[in-house]
Amino acid sequence: MDREIVVPGQLLSENVEESGAGTYVKEGKVYSLLYGVANLKNKISVIPFAGKYIPSRKDFVIGIVFEITSSNWIFDIGSPYDGLLHVSEYPKRVDPSMMRDIFDIGDCAILRIKDVDATMKIELTLREKGLRKIKGGRLLEVPSSKVPRVIGHNGSMVSMLKKETGCEIFVGQNGRIWINGKDENMDKLSEAIDIIIRESHISGLTDRISHFLQVNEEDNKKCRNEEDEVDTEQKESWEKMTSVNEKDSERVEKINDTGRMVDQLLDTDEN
Amino acid sequence: MKTENSNYVSINGQKFEIKNIIGESIMANKPEKFIDENGLRLDGRAVDEIRPMTIEIGVLSRADGSCYLEWGKNKILAAVYGPRELHPRRMQKPDEAIVRYRYNMAAFSVEERARPGPSRRSIEISKVSRDAFAPVIMTKYYPSAVIDVFAEVLQADAGTRTAAINAASIALADAGIPMKGLISACAVGKVDGQLVLDLNKEEDNYGNADLPIAMTQDGEISLLQMDGNLTKEEFKRALEMAKEGCKKILEIQKEALKKKFASREEVVESLVEIAEEKPDDVQKEIELIKEELETEEFDDLEEDVEQDIEEGIDVIVIKTDESDIEISEDEFTEFNEDDDLETDELEESDTLEVGEKI
Amino acid sequence: MTSEVMASLKKDYIYNLMLKGKREDGRAFDEYRKITVQTNIIDKAEGSAKVCIGDTQVLVGVKLQVGAPFPDAPDEGVIITNLEMNPLASPDFEAGPPKEDAIEMARVTDRGIRESGAIDLNKLCITEGEEVWIVFIDVHVLNDDGNLQDASSLGAIAALMTTKIPASREGKGEDMMMPIKDIPVGVTLVDIGGELMVDPGLAEETVADSKLTIASNKDGSISAMQKTGEGMLTQEKLLKAVDIACAKAEEIREKYLLNI
Repeated sequence: MDREIVVPGQLLSENVEESGAGTYVKEGKVYSLLYGVANLKNKISVIPFAGKYIPSRKDFVIGIVFEITSSNWIFDIGSPYDGLLHVSEYPKRVDPSMMRDIFDIGDCAILRIKDVDATMKIELTLREKGLRKIKGGRLLEVPSSKVPRVIGHNGSMVSMLKKETGCEIFVGQNGRIWINGKDENMDKLSEAIDIIIRESHISGLTDRISHFLQVNEEDNKKCRNEEDEVDTEQKESWEKMTSVNEKDSERVEKINDTGRMVDQLLDTDEN
Repeated sequence: MKTENSNYVSINGQKFEIKNIIGESIMANKPEKFIDENGLRLDGRAVDEIRPMTIEIGVLSRADGSCYLEWGKNKILAAVYGPRELHPRRMQKPDEAIVRYRYNMAAFSVEERARPGPSRRSIEISKVSRDAFAPVIMTKYYPSAVIDVFAEVLQADAGTRTAAINAASIALADAGIPMKGLISACAVGKVDGQLVLDLNKEEDNYGNADLPIAMTQDGEISLLQMDGNLTKEEFKRALEMAKEGCKKILEIQKEALKKKFASREEVVESLVEIAEEKPDDVQKEIELIKEELETEEFDDLEEDVEQDIEEGIDVIVIKTDESDIEISEDEFTEFNEDDDLETDELEESDTLEVGEKI
Repeated sequence: MTSEVMASLKKDYIYNLMLKGKREDGRAFDEYRKITVQTNIIDKAEGSAKVCIGDTQVLVGVKLQVGAPFPDAPDEGVIITNLEMNPLASPDFEAGPPKEDAIEMARVTDRGIRESGAIDLNKLCITEGEEVWIVFIDVHVLNDDGNLQDASSLGAIAALMTTKIPASREGKGEDMMMPIKDIPVGVTLVDIGGELMVDPGLAEETVADSKLTIASNKDGSISAMQKTGEGMLTQEKLLKAVDIACAKAEEIREKYLLNI
């Protein structure tokens, strides 16, 4: 059996060479450090069932300001360690008296981890393309361990979610997800993400989610057609919106297909 | 009330008032015999048999890890929070996490209502229990952080500290805290001149010795307390009995943990799949998503200064609701080395202040 | 520490949902989360109840002791209510003596029981002016997912209803059940942007401008009220809240208490 639920202290191997992540070696034997699943591919590693997000350099995260000093915003980044955003890491000059006007307590931002020192002091930055304060939209939280699932193989899941819902999505490595779009689309999207987290074990997940969203879409379209008879203006704006999305969706489609193929490959691999 | 119901016992010719674990006088009558002619105890157990133990994992939604454990009539709830940020900052250890352990008895957990809040007894138990986990918790992985363990005794029935340790051990695993192994604990005592494993209430009240022990899976002892009277020979045998008891408990703990997900193979599958995504790939994907976001806001700072400032004003207006605030470009001074230095120093004092304040 | 801060995005989200007549978990404004009441689960206590409202969990234990009455009520038993916000129950709770929130909640729970006359205090008198029963109601919070107040009130009355007075143990005659005269039920509403909702979840509690708890009795009369939070309530809102609270209390009493 190459996949097994293990508990801390469980003997995994007598070969020190096989010691991977989540294991330790004692007197020439390899033991588990964690409660999780042992994966015997290549080396033996243990993937924990639970655990906190631990920041590392260059990670993208979504933070919430919870304290402001004269030269730092302190962000909760959903980890045991708070992140410091120093004024000099804000892309513009900031007068100390204006700190609160830029980020007030409770404000959110897409940030990047600039540095992590040995004592786990976390320095954040906003001085990079794409990093910014978040305005509007919704913030969702998922276990950081499930982030790869939301992104999917080669980004297939997130691309598909984007395409099907027309929402903007940003997935932070700390498990916080920001979505923005029309209200009803965000409802669908957060429901879809719920399913991804809940049913992440079911194979062919991307297809399932895609199907889930398309069914809903059809419902929406039906409704829309009915509405259109009375409201042509809305139809126009709808068309405008879809046309804007079109150039994106072509490329997305391709990624999506490869994603599905990878999924299928993996599925057969498992069986 | 206390005096009229007191019982006395004679040890080494001296008369002692019998009190139970929280200092109440004992009101029940002392049984004549604790072990019958068949070698069975009052509750029908053999001398080396532990009380039945049941374990539920993940019972509290707010905690990072939790466990509800019943052992005999003991009812224990354990929760783990962390690793989490530790305040005040001066308590932080720069190279490892600290562990805090709080053993607490609910007011209604014992015969006579216990005053809420820590007692000298609960403070001592908390301390030795924390020490009991020190050899296994990998604190080095979480510098400056804290791991909080809370063990609540909801109903007490002899052996609460060992029951709490057994529950806490599982809550720690459930929280995903890296440990070299689980900790298991039980007590050995002496009644009717015989050693018995895992004292029940009567044995605890009237026994001649109590030896609570916690150990690692390798049988190394991480908690040991003793009171009463044991010969060296008895102590040696008691240790062996405790070791066997802990072994049995470790098996129960392991089984409970494995059972939690055993019926859900899919969860196992998905975890492995996630793990097989290389971290680098995930990073790349996140970067890709980020690139796709339409974020002109901070692009080309130099060229787009005007637009940027407008953005700035926009934000300010929303936040302060005063439309007359304006920022002119003049207020923005140039960055230079000195400036940076100054702000760095400021930052130092700031962070200190943050810690102290909280 | 950090968990106290809620993203303003989330606040906006809850507020916007309210505008559309919705709640985060899909409930109606006057709908409670799933309630469960288990009684007699701590043998060491004279009465006990565990109450869950959604993921919120509290354990209430009742203990009795013989003691002296208050001089101004020589023939009445004494009620003492205490609430512990255990650090085990929430990342926001800290170890230490009860803070103002815990004390407020204990007192509101206490008033609901006391003022409704739920317990016949005269029957708790053993010897007038000398010995009476002292009733300790200890509320142990196990998991805080919002609306601890209602869980606490519900747990307190449920535990009292199962309480056996240990008279023979203390040499004070025969054991008897706690003399219960009424069944008060506390219902908490929050005001979010001018809309009233019962049984606030954790996020709703954080967003709410103000919170109102109303304990009402079998005959529909009110025995205790408490407004908390910095917001204001109009007269009209208050009257509406009373109507909702009494109706909800009746439902809860029927469903979870009368069968104890």
